[in-house]
Amino acid sequence: MKRAKHQDVFAGQPPGKVATEARQLRKQAGDWLKLRRADAGLSQADLAARLGLKYYTFISQVENGFSRVPTEIMGAWASELGLERAAFARHLLMYYEPELHRLLFGAEKK
Amino acid sequence: MSVVAFERAQETGMWSERELNTIVAALQAALAPSTGREWETGTTEKGDAQFYLLGPLPEQACELCVSRIGGRYVLEDGLGRLLFEHRNLDIIALHARAAVPSTPWLMVRAITLWCAIRSAIHEKLEPMIAESEELLVQFAPQLAAFA
Repeated sequence: MKRAKHQDVFAGQPPGKVATEARQLRKQAGDWLKLRRADAGLSQADLAARLGLKYYTFISQVENGFSRVPTEIMGAWASELGLERAAFARHLLMYYEPELHRLLFGAEKK
Repeated sequence: MSVVAFERAQETGMWSERELNTIVAALQAALAPSTGREWETGTTEKGDAQFYLLGPLPEQACELCVSRIGGRYVLEDGLGRLLFEHRNLDIIALHARAAVPSTPWLMVRAITLWCAIRSAIHEKLEPMIAESEELLVQFAPQLAAFA
């Protein structure tokens, strides 16, 4: 969803920095997850409820590219989206640990 | 009877300036330039406001997230663990400040600085102490004679 910096509120906020590669890749992962969730016909709240989360805010946190899908719930996340667990984890690894992914699987299309 | 006026929390939409000021002020130490941390805001698909405290480069991963859902504030860490929830943002901000992951390298820097200051003090003070001791040794017998 929409993101905005509020640099006008506090002068201490550093000036706009170019997002790091890690951050850009996490955002791409978030966008991909958002699409897969939409394909599954689930809202953020639906997915959170199915994953046993009290609030859906963490789903948003991940889809906005600020956090990763934790390894502990990666399998459940995949299942709720109707995706094969290993393929899901492998695809996310491409964003979260691109070098490791390249070493393990070689180049792959995003 | 005096009544304390509590500001009612917004139900939805982006953060108000007051809300952002409250959170950023509570995290002022965590956001000091030397920590390399930054913050950003965003919204959920329902339009609920989120505040993200981001760690240093290169990962800039979310360390803490404050969200406002239906007038209730929720504090989570970067792994989605629910840390605290309350209707009062000031209380949430206090918990956020306490929940900021410690940065051991900051401690190392503080200790290094302390050692440098101590060493500088010793370097300056030791000759002065030695000099005053010498003076005392010289003048003590004379002072004793006067007494």
